[in-house]
This record gives sequence, C-alpha cells and structure tokens, in this order.
Amino acid sequence: MSAKDRPLVDTVYSKLDRKATAIFEFTMRQYRTRLSTWATLGVGALILMIVMLFYIEGMTETIEAVDNDGDSFDSDNDGYVDGQELLLGTAINNPDDHPGLLNPPVPPDPPEKWINEDDFDVKSIGNSASYGNDDDGDCQVRVGQVGFDDYTDDNNNGIDCDIKIRESFNRYIIDKDPNVDEDPDEDAYYKETVHRGFILGFGKIGFVFVLGIFLPLFLATGLIRDEMSGGTLHYIVAKPISRAEVLTYRLLGYIGLTWPYFAVLTIISAIITGLMGPGEGFFRFADLFLWFGIFIATILLSTAYAAIFMTMGVIHKYGMIGAIVFGVWEFSMAITSVFSPETTVTQLSLARWGMIIVDGFATITWPDSQLLVALGQSVTVTNWDFGFSYESSLEGADILEGFAHKTPLTGDPIIDILISCTLLFTITVLTIVIGQSIFKGKEID
Amino acid sequence: MMPDMNQVGGAPQAWQPQEKVPTVMLDHVSKWYGNIVGLNDVSIAISGGVTGLLGANGAGKSTFFKLLAGKLKPSQGTIRLFGTDPWKNSSPYSRIGYVSENEELYDWMTAIDFVATLARLHGYTREEALVKAKNVLEFVDLADVAHKELGKFSKGMRQRVKIAHALVNDPELIILDEPLQGCDPLARTTIMNVIRELGAMGRTIIVSSHILQEIERITEQIVILNNGRLLALGNVHAIREMLDAHPHKISLTTNQPRELAKKFIEHDDVFGVTLPTDSNLIVQTHNLGAVHQDLPQIILDSGCMVTAIDNPDDNLESILGYLTGGQ
Repeated sequence: MSAKDRPLVDTVYSKLDRKATAIFEFTMRQYRTRLSTWATLGVGALILMIVMLFYIEGMTETIEAVDNDGDSFDSDNDGYVDGQELLLGTAINNPDDHPGLLNPPVPPDPPEKWINEDDFDVKSIGNSASYGNDDDGDCQVRVGQVGFDDYTDDNNNGIDCDIKIRESFNRYIIDKDPNVDEDPDEDAYYKETVHRGFILGFGKIGFVFVLGIFLPLFLATGLIRDEMSGGTLHYIVAKPISRAEVLTYRLLGYIGLTWPYFAVLTIISAIITGLMGPGEGFFRFADLFLWFGIFIATILLSTAYAAIFMTMGVIHKYGMIGAIVFGVWEFSMAITSVFSPETTVTQLSLARWGMIIVDGFATITWPDSQLLVALGQSVTVTNWDFGFSYESSLEGADILEGFAHKTPLTGDPIIDILISCTLLFTITVLTIVIGQSIFKGKEID
Repeated sequence: MMPDMNQVGGAPQAWQPQEKVPTVMLDHVSKWYGNIVGLNDVSIAISGGVTGLLGANGAGKSTFFKLLAGKLKPSQGTIRLFGTDPWKNSSPYSRIGYVSENEELYDWMTAIDFVATLARLHGYTREEALVKAKNVLEFVDLADVAHKELGKFSKGMRQRVKIAHALVNDPELIILDEPLQGCDPLARTTIMNVIRELGAMGRTIIVSSHILQEIERITEQIVILNNGRLLALGNVHAIREMLDAHPHKISLTTNQPRELAKKFIEHDDVFGVTLPTDSNLIVQTHNLGAVHQDLPQIILDSGCMVTAIDNPDDNLESILGYLTGGQ
C-alpha cells in the first residue's frame, strides 16, 4: 500500500498516540488497583481537611471589640460618653456640662457607638501625600484649641488629622496624626488578615509543598522502578516502542491521576474559604484567582518532583533513598522560602519557585496586604492577661506579615510568575530528557 | 497531523525489515557481568523452524534471550534481529514475540485485558487489540477464562497467557524462555503442542529448556550452551551421533550380577562391564541403540532377575560432560 492510499488517521502519529493512550490508561488503572495510591491520596486529603478545620474555627470565633482610644468611657458620669462630649465641645470631667443641656438638646449615644468608631480608611495607596480620616472627630476638635493645636499635625505634612504613608525597603511606614484611624474594628481586621494568612500558608505549605512533594514521592518514584524490580518491565520494553516513550507516557499517567486530584482539593478549599471568609458578598470571588495560582504552582512543582523521583528510580533500585534525601533538602528550603523568601540559598531549591508563583498571584489578588500589615502594626492595643498589661499591635497583623510577601525577583508579580513557571517547566522537561537517556542505557535484569 | 483520538484507524503499518538477512544473527557476541561471563563469543544465525536452546541452569540461556529482547547490551560483538540492532532500535519487536522466564504478571488484570493492553503497544487500536487478544487466547486454549483475573490462574495457565501475549502481533520470530518450567504434565503437553503448531505455521521459534527430552519432543534442531559457550549446533540426531562416539552406560539392578555380566561381555558392542555393588551391573558401550535392542534377549537368556534398568547418560549434565571432553 502506498502512502497515498493510506487513510489519513493511519500514520506514524496515530500509532504513536495509540501506544501513548495504552500506557497512559494502563498506568492509571495500575494506580487504581494499588492500595498505596488510595492511602497516599486519602491521607493527603485528610490532613488538608483537618487543617481546614482550624481555619473554620478561626472564622467562626469573634474577637472582642476593644475601645482603643477609651472614648466610650463616661468620665463624669453624666450619661454622655467622652467621645460624644469631645465632639460636641462639652467638658468630659464636669457632670453639669453635657450635650443634653445644649439647644436643642442632643440625646446621649449608646457607649457601643464609640467602640471601633474610627476604622482604617486607606484601602489602597497611590501618589497622594495624605490618607485617612478622623471618623470620630477626636483629632479634628483639637484644631484651633489652645494647647492642643500643636499636636494635630504630628507627621508634619501640613494637613491636620491625616495619615502619611511612605514606602521604605518594601515596607510601608505609617505616620499618623494623633487620634486618626485609632480605633479600628478588631474582629474585621483579624478575620481579614487571618483569612489571607491562612490561604497563603495553607496554599504554600499544604498544597504546593506537602502535597506537591509527597504525592510524587510515593506515586512517581516507582513508575519505572517497580516494573524493573517486579520483572514485568519486559512486557512493555520488548515491544515496538522506545523506552523514552515508555518513560514519558508513564509520567503522563501520573499527571492524569494527580492533576485532577489537586484540582478537586483546590476547588473544595476555595469553596470553603470563599464562603467562610470575611466580606460583604456571600462569596469571595476575588480569592479564586489566588487559588488558581496555588493550583498552578502545585501541579508545576509536583510534576517537576515526579520527573526527578522517577529518574532516581530508574537510576538505582534504592532511588527512594535519594528521593527522600532530596525531599528533606526541599522541605528545609520550602520552609525558609515561606518565611524569608529573600534568602539566597533557596534559589537552589525547586520549592522556592513554587512559593514565588503563589506570592505573585497573592500580590495581584490582594495588592493591599502589606498596607494592611502596616496599618495593623500602627495601632497599639493594650491587652490584659492574668492581671498584667502588655501592648501589642492589632491581632492578625503578625500572621499576615509572616505569610504575605512581595515576589523577590523583579518585584513585578506577573513577570516573577512567568519566570518561575518557565523555570519549573524547563527543569521538568530537562529531567525527563535526562531520565529518558538514562533509561535507554539501562540494562534490565 | 491529527492524532487518532477516536482510535478508529486501520491496521498499523508493519515495520519493513531488511531483505535476505537471517532472522536472528549473533556475531562474536560476549556478555559479562563484572567478572562473571554470561555469554562467551557466541556466533549463530537462525532463520525459520523451531530451534531448541539447551543448557544447564546458568549456561547463558537467559542472557542469550535477554540480549535478543533488547534488555541487555552485548559487551562485545553484534546482534541483529531482522538486520537491526535490538538494543538501539525497538522496531524489530513489531515482528517478535518474547516470552520471558519471569513468571510475574499483572495479577489485577483479566487475561483478555492483559493481552489487549499489551497488544496496543504494537500500535493496534482498542478494537483491533481486543479482537487479536480474543483470537490468541483461543489459540492457547484459554478462551473460557479470558475474563478471569490473572491472579487466580494456575502456573500452566499463566505460561499460556504469556505465550498468548507474545503471539498477539502475529510475530515471525517467537522467543520462549523456559516455557515449560513449573508446569504440570498436562500443561506441558498443551504448550508443546502450541509450539509445534506455531513451528508448522512457518514461524521462527527459539525455545529454551534444561531438559533434553522436552526439547526432543518439540524440535529436532538444537543449540547447546554450556558455561556461556556455544557447544553444539544442529539436528538432535546429529548430536545423538556425536554422543555415540562416546561410551554410554546402562545400569541394571539384578540378583545375579556376575551371571549377567558374562552374557553382556559376549555382545559385540559392549566393551566393558563393571560391578559397583553386589546387586548392580554397569554395561559400557559405544552403540547404545544396538545394545538396547538386544537387551531383553540377553536378560531372558541369562535367566537372571532384573529389577531395574537405567540409562544414567540420559541427562543433560552427562551429555554436556561428553561434549566438553569428559571434564
């Protein structure tokens, strides 16, 4: 039969993909029959869901509102809290002088109104010199008052009762005039920061690293090795198919199992955090973009690890040991990358590049995370514990500070994401090529 | 070019072998593992018919087959299957069926699944592979258990599944490494019949065993390997004749060995008689056939009571001993 008579589908390409689908399907079915597959996938999902319970608990508890500026207190017991008296110009320490005596008389505010009454007003930062708003007026009333007027422009920007924000070494420095944005909503702030911190930590450590490395460790190391040790490889090798193809299609089988698994877990996590997370709508749709980034980082990193572990398995029957040693190194580098991404040595690990992808997507999703941290740290909260008092920044600020980082490469999140994705993809392809050439030269006993 | 995602293509195009080359050709092939020699300077060409590869355990039979299967790389020399080096190129395997000595199977698969999945590696579509698998399972007499899991198969059935998987691509060359090992007599007979049938169909078949009688029942053309060397090659009768140049022994157990010895010594072809024990007699001859023929008459004439006749030569070790010069 000449090439002209041959049906179009019946070419070397069609034969190639028939073999590819055969090995792909075979690998998937082989996974399905193994208890270890289900154990690995099950334990992975279980651990993630247990961690998720802590998040749900954090989101359902309420942080007690604290009156940071003390203006809900009625110093003179005249029924009017200090904040209202200050605002309307009556004396806070004279019970005979209160807004009820004004003309027309003003009814007293309930004290709750003067708790969390001066929330953060800065939502984003641009080129402006002045931010913030003194919602409760406790800075504004001092303007023009003798003895107080000197202290209404502490940040010396020529504007009374505002906030000056500048950037220094990738951090925001908040310079406030007194009594501006000083009594924020602790609960809202805590939930927002913990929500963000959780998704970042959970995504980086739980998904990208733990799932990203344990699944390939248990599921990819034996892709070729188990067939070699089990003596079944010759069923596949003594066939008109090159070993390089066998290796590639086996890895495709791994991808066919793990990518959908990662996708399902990501979607479940995204739905839970989207519904439970703080916000005005019933669902935080904006976060989905970050979850997409976490998914991308997970599949890229996990496939790179899979290619490396599979190659280690081809090289030696104790390749698992090499894989574990490599895994320990990656683990230490991953943890370092999560908390201090600028550390140079982490550049030698793969995990770091996965973390940069997550950081990049997070920066695009929540451009104001660093600002939120700085604002939280600008508020001093007095805490009472066992009768002792200590001061701290707003609860939640430190959590978010620990997990939210700008991408350390160019600083532009999109470029950094692209660089990291390209790098991980290139490493995967290179490892496959190396694995293929090692497998080709491997004698099978 | 669009991939065949629907898997509806026609039959795959066979790889075209070089014309007029031996099916299997080994030229001064040696293979050693560190200091251990697996195969030592073997040159052989095989085309057509059933060839028995005979050798004791460790003689190099499996090394020979693994080299043919592209699992091992020769340390020296060249191997060609249909004129192509199997280590560098997997294309000859479209015309080869290889049955390994390894007994592992994918126990979770059904027989038809196993054969069909591996058939797809030859480039068949799903449907083609299923039809082919069904046919070969019928050929090896496993059609009724085709949908049973391999883990529940007996040893003989497992061997037959392995043979079936190797036949699925209609191979011109079939390599069977110890296909009768561990099988019960019934399974042996079935497998031997299958091999003979394939031989009759004009395929080139190489089958190994360490038992001469097994090989004799399958084929007349044999190759003997010993310590990695090619010792003898040719017709089983020719090898028998070569063996006849060496003295043969017949051992008899009787109540009167001395009386019987006198009778035997009178026979023209007997050149020696020994009496190792009081009830045992060993007759030495260059012409085993003639002595065997006259044996009943001699015993009858002597009037002795013979309880056992044994031919201690009839095992591979002693044959190999003769061929290697009585070492």
